[in-house]
Amino acid sequence: MTDPIVQLRDIGVRFGTVPVLVAVDLTIAPGEVVGVAGPNGSGKTTLLGVVATLIRPNSGTGRVLGAALGTDDVRRVRRRIGLSGHEPAVYPDLTLAENLRFVARIAGVTVEAADRALADVGLAAAADRPAGRSSHGMQRRIDLARMLMLEPDLVLLDEAHAGLDQDAEVIIDVILERTRRRRGAALIVSHDAERLARQVDRVLRIEAGATV
Amino acid sequence: MSSFWRQALQVAKRDLLVEGRAGEGVGIVLPFGALAVFVVPLATSGSASLLADLAAPVYWLVTLLFGMQLALRQTATETVPQRRLLVLLGLDPVARFVGRTLSAWVLLIGLQLVLIPLVVLFYEPEPVPTPALMLPALALYALGLAMLGTLAGDLTVGLRTRTALAPMLAAPLAVPLVMGASQSLISISRGEGILTWTLLLVATDLALSVAGVVTARPLEETAT
Amino acid sequence: MTKRILPVLAGLALVAALAVALSSPPDVLQGDFVRILYIHVANAWLAFLAFGVTAAASIGWLVRKKPGYDRVAASSAEIGVLFTAVTLFTGMIWGKPIWGTFWDWGDARMASTALMFFVYLGYLALRRATPDRQARARRSAILGVIAVVQVPLVYFSVTLWRTLHQGLTIRPDSVQMEPAMLVALLVNVGAFSLLYLALLTARVRLARLEEAAEAHERAPAGRAVTAPRLETGQ
Repeated sequence: MTDPIVQLRDIGVRFGTVPVLVAVDLTIAPGEVVGVAGPNGSGKTTLLGVVATLIRPNSGTGRVLGAALGTDDVRRVRRRIGLSGHEPAVYPDLTLAENLRFVARIAGVTVEAADRALADVGLAAAADRPAGRSSHGMQRRIDLARMLMLEPDLVLLDEAHAGLDQDAEVIIDVILERTRRRRGAALIVSHDAERLARQVDRVLRIEAGATV
Repeated sequence: MSSFWRQALQVAKRDLLVEGRAGEGVGIVLPFGALAVFVVPLATSGSASLLADLAAPVYWLVTLLFGMQLALRQTATETVPQRRLLVLLGLDPVARFVGRTLSAWVLLIGLQLVLIPLVVLFYEPEPVPTPALMLPALALYALGLAMLGTLAGDLTVGLRTRTALAPMLAAPLAVPLVMGASQSLISISRGEGILTWTLLLVATDLALSVAGVVTARPLEETAT
Repeated sequence: MTKRILPVLAGLALVAALAVALSSPPDVLQGDFVRILYIHVANAWLAFLAFGVTAAASIGWLVRKKPGYDRVAASSAEIGVLFTAVTLFTGMIWGKPIWGTFWDWGDARMASTALMFFVYLGYLALRRATPDRQARARRSAILGVIAVVQVPLVYFSVTLWRTLHQGLTIRPDSVQMEPAMLVALLVNVGAFSLLYLALLTARVRLARLEEAAEAHERAPAGRAVTAPRLETGQ
């Protein structure tokens, strides 16, 4: 009997005085890919932040990769979590290659692995382009290249399909395939219901901060 | 190399690389500081003896205020996605503090060195007998400002009023640094010893490093 | 019960302090102006105490993360600003007749206290700039820790500066105290301490009420977003 990768019970989050998540329950088993859908402002991005252990819940309990949310224990598992947010996490003044290499060196991974990942996502020819002068889609591919390079056990994608062309969709497919094979898990937020349905095992719907 | 120092040096290297490309420090803050040095005499009677007396105070004031601007430069300020990425990568928050301080230190020393000949040119202060004695004080002063600037920057990340708030928080706490450095110069010009002031600078830098290490982890959470 | 007793006690103590200050003997050198010192020194002592409480509560919050620590830290800082302002003001009023000038750079303590005033203002500015309660508590606690390490150094450096460059001769702390004057000083310190406690408890209570009002059930953010009321082809 393996423990779930993600287990949230009755999670609540408020920003200032405003509740954003109210009594959210979520369980993701190893090998599972779950989609999240819902209207604007429903709390999808916040949910991803909680699962990424970056947002402390104000109420409820949760475990991610075995670490209890809201405790220092989460530091232990963060390296196994991969997050691609709304905005790509790139340094605009560094080239695409330099961005990946910087991440590699911080994470203790070889520079060769970074270059390999860059080529895998089809950006080898643009390696020396400053990230700030690359398109949003290219920056997104860097985020995904990072996932390929670091092989996280928990993959979190926010607005996964935004800015990605048809060609690049195979990148997400490969990431999810490899994650499943490793018995990891993934949580994907998307407004594109069609593409989402194709890639996930089930869809969680969120409305006004609560799972429905 | 231990992973702590590898991470710290990577962060410092990244900051300096970004500065080399974006040029906010060298291209904007430095000339702005030079301009400030140049403008002050225009607000005085222009008497040579007054300017000679003003040279050191103006130098310390400009290095303090514009040094803070350097340490807090926008191009070095990380966005929320960047900070989140680093947290998830397991970047040691203390290594991050050390790396940021190192890069700020390099830039601040640059600022200080460039302003010296300008102040000498425009204010013609009394020559100092053994100027080389000032080097340790300048290095310690720059290090303290670098740490203070990094702390103030991290403390105010994401706040709308950051541009004015961060230097305002740092300035009163920078007094021991300004004191140590400026009084060292005065002592050297009089041929007196600078041990007391050097010790003050060392003590302040030590205190700031302790503060930096102790607050590194709590500060990490402000970014997410 | 404490709600009423403390403010009343403080009020009575302040009246007593005023009475004692006015009836105590004049100083050999300063004459009647020494009376201002009773208020000045008492407020200076309270300003330090308030700052110390803010620092301790900040450390407490970082260790325990309980909101009570944050309330105390912030309330004490606000009151500390008040006492520091009174310290500086009374110092200046005392300075004019004694030194002939409102401000004397030769007085290390006044200069350091003015710097501490700015540190407090910065602390309050940081709190005002941070809307989210958790973030506000965390950031101000961190600033509290940094300040606790740096402010003693600030004081020390300014004192060092003054001992090496001799200033004027009469300092607030160089007054020779007769027993009657000492009594007047202690009564004032006691009275202002009670005032501090009264203000602190009231302010902390207010903070708690503010937080309770905020936590009152609010609709989740998502409810505010509805489907657009547009149609194509119109």
